[in-house]
Amino acid sequence: MKETKVLTEHYDKEEYRFLEGYQKWGGYSMLRKALKMKPGDIVEMVKASGLRGRGGAGFPTGVKWGFLPKNGEPRYLLCNADEGEPGTFKDRLIMERAPHQLIEGMLIAAYAIESHKSYIYVRGEYNYPIRVLEKALEEAYQAGLLGRNILGSGFHHDMDIYRGAGAYICGEETGLISSLEGYKGQPKLKPPFPAVQGYLKKPTIVNNVETLAAVVIILRDGPEGYRKYGTEKSPGTKIFSLSGNVLRPGNYEVPLGFPLKDLIFGLGGGIPNGHQLKAVIPGGSSAPVLTAEEAMRATLDYECLANMGTMLGSGAVIVLDDRQCMVDCLGNLMHFYHHESCGQCTPCREGTGWLDKITQRILSGQGQPADVDLLFKVADNMKGRTICALSDAAALPVMSFVTKFRDEFDYYVHNGKSKVKGKVLAHAQMYH
Amino acid sequence: MPRCTINGVEIEVKEGTTIIQAMMAHQQRIAHYCWHPGLSVAGVCRLCMVEIEGNPRLQIACNTVITEGMKINNTSEKVKEAVKWGLDFHLINHPLDCPICDQAGECGLQEQYMEFGKYDPEMAEPKQKKRKVVDLGPRVVLDSERCILCSRCVRFTDEVSKSYELGIFNRGDRSEIGTHAGKTLDNKYSLNTVDICPVGALTSRDFRFRQRVWYLKDQNTICNGCSTGCHIKVYFNKEGFFRVKPVYNAEVNGYWMCDEGRDIYRFANKENRWQQGWYRVDGNIVELKPAELAQKIQSLVTSQSAFVVTGQFTCEELDRAIGMFVKKVGASNVFHWQNEPERWNDFDGILLRGDRNPNTRGLLEVFQKLQINTHWDQLIQKLQQGMIETLIVAAPEGVTWYPDFKEKLSIFSKAKNLIWLQSVKRKEVEELPHKSLYVIPLKSYVEKNGTFINYAGLRQSFKAVTTVLHETLTLDQALGLMLGSWEGLIPVTQNASGVTANAMTLVETERPKDRVLNETRKRNEFIFQRGRL
Repeated sequence: MKETKVLTEHYDKEEYRFLEGYQKWGGYSMLRKALKMKPGDIVEMVKASGLRGRGGAGFPTGVKWGFLPKNGEPRYLLCNADEGEPGTFKDRLIMERAPHQLIEGMLIAAYAIESHKSYIYVRGEYNYPIRVLEKALEEAYQAGLLGRNILGSGFHHDMDIYRGAGAYICGEETGLISSLEGYKGQPKLKPPFPAVQGYLKKPTIVNNVETLAAVVIILRDGPEGYRKYGTEKSPGTKIFSLSGNVLRPGNYEVPLGFPLKDLIFGLGGGIPNGHQLKAVIPGGSSAPVLTAEEAMRATLDYECLANMGTMLGSGAVIVLDDRQCMVDCLGNLMHFYHHESCGQCTPCREGTGWLDKITQRILSGQGQPADVDLLFKVADNMKGRTICALSDAAALPVMSFVTKFRDEFDYYVHNGKSKVKGKVLAHAQMYH
Repeated sequence: MPRCTINGVEIEVKEGTTIIQAMMAHQQRIAHYCWHPGLSVAGVCRLCMVEIEGNPRLQIACNTVITEGMKINNTSEKVKEAVKWGLDFHLINHPLDCPICDQAGECGLQEQYMEFGKYDPEMAEPKQKKRKVVDLGPRVVLDSERCILCSRCVRFTDEVSKSYELGIFNRGDRSEIGTHAGKTLDNKYSLNTVDICPVGALTSRDFRFRQRVWYLKDQNTICNGCSTGCHIKVYFNKEGFFRVKPVYNAEVNGYWMCDEGRDIYRFANKENRWQQGWYRVDGNIVELKPAELAQKIQSLVTSQSAFVVTGQFTCEELDRAIGMFVKKVGASNVFHWQNEPERWNDFDGILLRGDRNPNTRGLLEVFQKLQINTHWDQLIQKLQQGMIETLIVAAPEGVTWYPDFKEKLSIFSKAKNLIWLQSVKRKEVEELPHKSLYVIPLKSYVEKNGTFINYAGLRQSFKAVTTVLHETLTLDQALGLMLGSWEGLIPVTQNASGVTANAMTLVETERPKDRVLNETRKRNEFIFQRGRL
């Protein structure tokens, strides 16, 4: 079983992170090609490729670009590198190994949407990627790949790195915009959508790191070449961040539609020490959990996972084996969402805290039989009631955990301890 | 002009109208906390949920613009459940100590609970602890635990007062309202944040814990604090006046009023007023009923008299009083006491104007009608020359806004006899060493009907709110009694014992007997009033 390395083809080469090495392997030739094309043609090309946003929502990128009003207002391109979804570490890989690939992708995207200013919003904890990116930007400016009159084409573009302060919510595109504007990182009401009124009230496109890097591949291979991988509705390849109870966790690039089973047991090397697979969170912590049986059937593409009631999300596959207590796992997640809710909308502000308090109480052995239903009810009423999707992100795991692993929850509230034998509740000890 | 259907009623709205605006305009009930018609849309309380046909998700009415053919519903079970839960989320960390909360009785949460709730809470966890008594500024106190973070106050300071003092700090359920570093909530409009606070989080330092709101009655009137003439509501009971709140008026003040205007109720309270008329004989003070005193001093008003007026009286009073005086004494002896005329055109850009008299325009109108062209210097000249035997001064009610009050008082005391007509009690007047001083207490502006003409020439009539001191007189009554010519003043009626009216019965019949007591608050009246504020 092998990865399909399209985006990450040269990531194993140390020199690839520097301009010279990047150009040695064909870097920036796609920018040269793009600068000779009409911006509209690039947008059409991306539309035709069917590239879907790699940040989590999976919205078609070309369609998003097409939302920009055609009125000559200044536009902004923002690269969302605030990789905050627990379990996700694919953007970091790109930024560390191929910063120029990101810059090239951003330049092509900027040229396509006729933007002259872009920001890379990197999460604050990414010290090393930021340093690599800064170096890469410096190199690009010196080589005339950024700034005025890029490669003699007459196209100007400036790029900056903005360092976030580590809030999960700033990975939400309007939250990112608020943060970049200097305000508290809180999502904005939609409408108006960022493509119409975003950063500094100007049309803005926010794209994920992996999405922007993939634009280079689309330009190289053309829409048909890109569609060679993946499924009809989920074309291309994607980097999956495999973590949890697997032998070989890490980033794996595979075509969309790849069987989840093969990722875990093939590329990931299976579950160590002869333990059994219990559950898989397929798309970052906010994706509803899959049982082992479901995970064996699932393929990694948007439509299959949607049919199973979960989502591909950011592509963070978290594997849980039979040593894990699902109540404990949920407690960990709830603590995270409680901590990260921005506090703007009431259902999320109060609901995440409530869910956290209930799960912590169950974990401490003080649970009541009614608590399990209450968890579900609270989550159900948080879902879809807020400005952004953080409320859903907190609610969906609860609903799926409680539905699919009801026995463990019931056991816990009735017996005051975990159903998993010998389980030391790291989480319960941590916070109580 | 898109047409839509709201709860089965077909309506036509203006382009760009949001659902909540249309619903409020058509008296449809919709729960909301963060939305306020005078502020931008925040969309955070998530209570104004509506179901729109063809949309599987509930939408918030405050940020959804009506489009042609929209079918909107907020009475379905789905919406009711969402609103119930929306309320629940608001309540889980909100202290349920209504009996000791200052907002009880006019609290958005209480109203919603009575409307949609009435169930036992499911929240069994300990509530979030936050700061309890936070001094935000000189007039406003915050209780963070009661705050539901609707952000109305923050938006007010950002958008209306533009003073940018408030912000929401921290994250999630640890979020708290607070002032930015180095700032206090100290602007001329800070108390509006208390009005728009749907819960008991922001309270007025002046009003908090002084009265339960259900013991207060209210009545609309016009503010007499400056020449803007904001529409206000005065809250009172038999113990006196307690607070003033703005009433929406698109032409004058919108939803707001200034902090200084909130203080006007104090001038009308008993403890700040002379209960009786008085004069001094041989260093002793003799008290007399105002009307009797006014009649007693008839002989003092001669052709050597002068009348000083301020723009603090109603058009009706000024018209009759000055009219009577001019008829008896002459137009050359009426003078306008101007308060900082150089500041009259000042304007702070929101509401407050430099002319702190509510009716300067009305006074000037009367002067013009009666062809009075006197100048202040003439009065001073006449006083110095001893040409004025008796000086009648209709002194201002809002004295605090008259910085040269003492100075003027010393000028007036040059007259041989000084007749002082004023509704508020002033120490300066009591301490005057003047030998022949007669003080007649007047009715305060909340006790009389009348009309003010504001800076823009807008005529605004108002009704008496209540009566605090029954025996006080209006300016025209006082002048009428003094000049012995009260014909045409008020219809003279007979008193209970059948005796033809004298001055006393005249005043007595004016007394609005029991009018206030009969007015009871309609049930649930507050629910929509809060929305209007």
